[in-house]
Amino acid sequence: MNFYSIRHLTRFRYAQPVRESIMEVHMHPRTDEAQHCLSFSLSVSPRCRVFSYRDHYGNNVQHFDIPGEHNQLVILAESVIEQHLMDPLPTALPPSAWQDLADQVEDGDYGEMLLPSQFTQDSAALRQLAAELRVSRAEDPLTVVRELTESLYRYFEYVPRSTRVDSPIDEAILSRKGVCQDFTHTMIALLRSLGIPARYVSGYLYRGSDDHDRSTPDATHAWVEALLPGLNWVGFDPTNNLVAGLRHIRTAIGRDYADVPPTHGIFRGDAESDLYVAVKVEASSTAPVLDRRQPVPDDWTVLVERAREAPPRPAQSASAQRAQQQQ
Amino acid sequence: MLSRVADSLYWMSRYLERAENTVRQLDVTLSLLLDTSETSTETRWNRLMISLGCTDCMAWSGDIDAMARKLIFDTSDPAAINACIHAARENARQVREEISTEQWQRLNRLFHQMHSPQAQLQSRGNISDLLASIIDGIHLFKGVTDTTMIHGDGWQFIRLGRYLERAYATATLLDVHRETLLHVQEGENNGYRYLELVGLLRCCTSFEAYCQVYTADIVPERILDFLLLNRDFPHALRYAIDGIRHSLEAIESAGARRAPEALHACVGRLQAMLRYTTIEEILRGDTGAFLHSIRAQCQQIHEVLYSHYMHYSVQAALAL
Amino acid sequence: MSSQQAEDFTLHTPETPDRILGDYPVGKVYDEMRAPDGSLRAHYQALAAMLATLSPEELQRRKQSADLSFLTQGITFTVYGRDEGTERIFPYDLLPRLITASEWRMIERGLTQRIVALNHFLRDIYSDARILAEKIVPRQLVYSCRHYRRQMCGLEVPRNVYIAVVGSDLLRLPSGEFVVLEDNLRVPSGVSYMLTNRRVMKRTFPRLFQSYGVQPIEHYPQLLLATLRSLAPEGRLEPNIVLLTPGVYNSAYFEHTYLARQMGIDLVEGRDLVTHDNIVYMRTTGGLKRVDVIYRRVDDDYSDPLAFRPDTALGCAGLFNAYRAGNVTVTNAFGTGLADDKGMYAYVPRMIRYYLGEEPILNNVETYLLTEDIQRRHVLANLDKLVVKAVGESGGYGMLIGPHASTAEREEFARAIEANPRNYIAQPTLDFSCAPCLFDGRLEPRHVDLRPYILFGDKVQIVPGGLTRVALEKGSLVVNSSQGGGSKDTWVLE
Repeated sequence: MNFYSIRHLTRFRYAQPVRESIMEVHMHPRTDEAQHCLSFSLSVSPRCRVFSYRDHYGNNVQHFDIPGEHNQLVILAESVIEQHLMDPLPTALPPSAWQDLADQVEDGDYGEMLLPSQFTQDSAALRQLAAELRVSRAEDPLTVVRELTESLYRYFEYVPRSTRVDSPIDEAILSRKGVCQDFTHTMIALLRSLGIPARYVSGYLYRGSDDHDRSTPDATHAWVEALLPGLNWVGFDPTNNLVAGLRHIRTAIGRDYADVPPTHGIFRGDAESDLYVAVKVEASSTAPVLDRRQPVPDDWTVLVERAREAPPRPAQSASAQRAQQQQ
Repeated sequence: MLSRVADSLYWMSRYLERAENTVRQLDVTLSLLLDTSETSTETRWNRLMISLGCTDCMAWSGDIDAMARKLIFDTSDPAAINACIHAARENARQVREEISTEQWQRLNRLFHQMHSPQAQLQSRGNISDLLASIIDGIHLFKGVTDTTMIHGDGWQFIRLGRYLERAYATATLLDVHRETLLHVQEGENNGYRYLELVGLLRCCTSFEAYCQVYTADIVPERILDFLLLNRDFPHALRYAIDGIRHSLEAIESAGARRAPEALHACVGRLQAMLRYTTIEEILRGDTGAFLHSIRAQCQQIHEVLYSHYMHYSVQAALAL
Repeated sequence: MSSQQAEDFTLHTPETPDRILGDYPVGKVYDEMRAPDGSLRAHYQALAAMLATLSPEELQRRKQSADLSFLTQGITFTVYGRDEGTERIFPYDLLPRLITASEWRMIERGLTQRIVALNHFLRDIYSDARILAEKIVPRQLVYSCRHYRRQMCGLEVPRNVYIAVVGSDLLRLPSGEFVVLEDNLRVPSGVSYMLTNRRVMKRTFPRLFQSYGVQPIEHYPQLLLATLRSLAPEGRLEPNIVLLTPGVYNSAYFEHTYLARQMGIDLVEGRDLVTHDNIVYMRTTGGLKRVDVIYRRVDDDYSDPLAFRPDTALGCAGLFNAYRAGNVTVTNAFGTGLADDKGMYAYVPRMIRYYLGEEPILNNVETYLLTEDIQRRHVLANLDKLVVKAVGESGGYGMLIGPHASTAEREEFARAIEANPRNYIAQPTLDFSCAPCLFDGRLEPRHVDLRPYILFGDKVQIVPGGLTRVALEKGSLVVNSSQGGGSKDTWVLE
């Protein structure tokens, strides 16, 4: 099946009214070689004007602000996308592929995807893991990436809510459990250390009745794209030990999660917030018609992965503020 | 003008006015203690605390000198003179570029004077001299404020702070002294009573001004009349409210935005209350309720003013 | 012969300048006042002659009156900590530093060329990045720079001006040649001291000033305002221009207030600003007022909690989106720190050749890149002769002056370099020039640099002069005000 429709509902509820909320969202599926976004809509309550721009990774970003007081903020993203079947990957690449990769990196703009980023920092735990999994520039790049996908799949236990949005990868590596972001960040850090450009993909994974994925169904998902000579960027999903295919729907790419969180914002007010996220992905073999009047059903699958934390508030002590002013 | 700047100027001014008021009341209280009277030192101290609006702070310790020093220097207590000067200076520092160099220097000098060892020394020697020099410092600041600053919005917000603080403090002071003022005790010594009444006038720096209007014939009704309803004396309530009205009109006419009806209404009501009444009417009615109402209205003016000029909601401002 | 020459330059005053010159040494460095043979340089003669006529008492009196003048003008900084709230004046030297018209013309041409090239570079990096594709500047140097702002990619900035306000630091080598030590492309400070020094000097030495024919600099605030206005978003004919300060605790707060006042614009803090629908407003007593141009004295990181550091209390949420939408100009642009990165500095001459097809008029100081193996080995072997600087630091911090450092300090730096070579550069220790300074009525040489201030709006403009910073400590090479440096007025002669 080539067509997918996605409804992605996010709701922030505040214990006290807040004001001057301002938010950016990465929910607009990408349009590129393998995937075509046929329609996208974003509904926000309270009503406001939604603006959008394209960031330098080619992601479509929406943003808006709500000046008045509100007790809750609801964001509903609806999209329809069409996937194109890509040629199957070869079983392996020739040994010369390492040199081809080096040449491609030398000539192209891949530098950012080779350097450590916020969530993919080098650490003792990471080096230990690399030794344990025997990560090295063996065979050819494709085989290395494939084997790493599988060994990470086996190394980690998938445990929803075992880590937080801002957990460093060390936490997951040392406890051997985590969620898709952790597996993805770990794999990116290891690939970059081998000189293979690797980037973070944020999106959704459709689960049909015959699929037996480990990750939570109908949820936001994350996986890795690695640059391979002659094949360009290829997606690998260490959470489910898969090569990304038709069921992997891509919303945004970045160096890591920090570049592309689904929602990112701040507000004024002193209130605890409670976040609820629900995603529904449906597949069809023909282009579906989105019924815009359809009410949001209550029985959606509740996402239990990630995005538990409310965005940090810039509440600060006077001394911290003084220190900042001295920059 | 930026709301933040108006906010800081307003509070700078309020805190300094508060400091000045506290200094004067403390000075009068201390000098009244020099004469023997039926009123105990503790009663006087507690009365001072109530009229300064701090009923639950600075509990009487039995040592008047120590208490006085605490009221002057103890920055941990928000009612202390030093705490007020400190707060005024902090506000001034936030808007250093909006006030003149002279203003800043005056305020800074006062601040450092309060922290100098000489001030401590003086407080143990001649406390009255110290209090007089603090008043001098504040007067100098007010003088350079009026002579070195553009009389624009910033200056008007300084006046608003000054007059609102003064009106509120004067109403509180009169309320506290209402009993002694209006009810003569049988067999009360006339000499002591005279001192009390003069002390009340001196709390509002108005003894000389009173004498010019009424001669040295000190009569409680006339004191009330003078401090509440006089049109021309700067420490009279009516003068202060007229000043608030005047400053608000100046701010409104200079800006693009009309002040809300609520603000016009509450200032107008209070002004009318003081303008179109006589002291006889006030005394015939419930004087306590009258003074209480003035304080409540001052508080209301502050709130409306604040929510219109300083802390308004972005949404409301966008809707305009 | 040399005595004959000295005779020629001797002053036509009854007193010789020896009384104040005393044993003023002429060392191996370039001396702004004396030629290597000890004679006075021509343009310093009038100054020396004037000094010779003044008694030590009179000099002292003028010094005191200048002190007072700084104080009463409020040109002070507030001391925090122990002496909470006391105001001090900035250290300065009473004597002007003189620059001839021809020297200045060269500096002006050189800086203009350099700033134009640096601006080209920023525009290129944040659009097509041709210079990277052509491998003139290594990509990894850009991506590993902590001042690189990927959010800027593809953004249009008004008039393509990224760096509207610049202060570049120049040194003078023993040969007399001026070289550029660094470019300050983020929030260069110090211009208020240039202006106030001049005001005080004109009062202290009025006749000398008049006789020298000094080019004026007083119009800098007006030029700055015109520059900011020229960068306003299109269609905003009467732009509301503000200066954004981190707040009263910032060390340059005096300058922020000074410039805002001189330009007659509002001095705002982040908390005064709000954004709605991609428009920036400031909260005034008259309601929300739209802001069109922000002269920003807050670092990138602290400017917008949505786009940059989320924990900032100094910024305005949504500012960057409004900027991206072209509804507000923020200057200097974000991400300009990329071009004044100490590692990037080494590539500036190549940028000048690449973008302008010209040879640099002002040279760089020789710089070793520690990411290059050969250069790093050389540096590590010669740490005792070199100056090592951390690329991300400024103000004289994070620096190793090899010849003055202890073995332990050098070893510590060697380890730090090995651990993160990208984070450091090395330069030879520079014998930069000295100028005469007044100490107790006598002249003594002290090391000086020069920071001219460059404005770039519809064109590049440099007021003739700048801030001459002085290492007041004898023999010291550190001119930064945070570390015992002072300043002196700079007279560019007609």
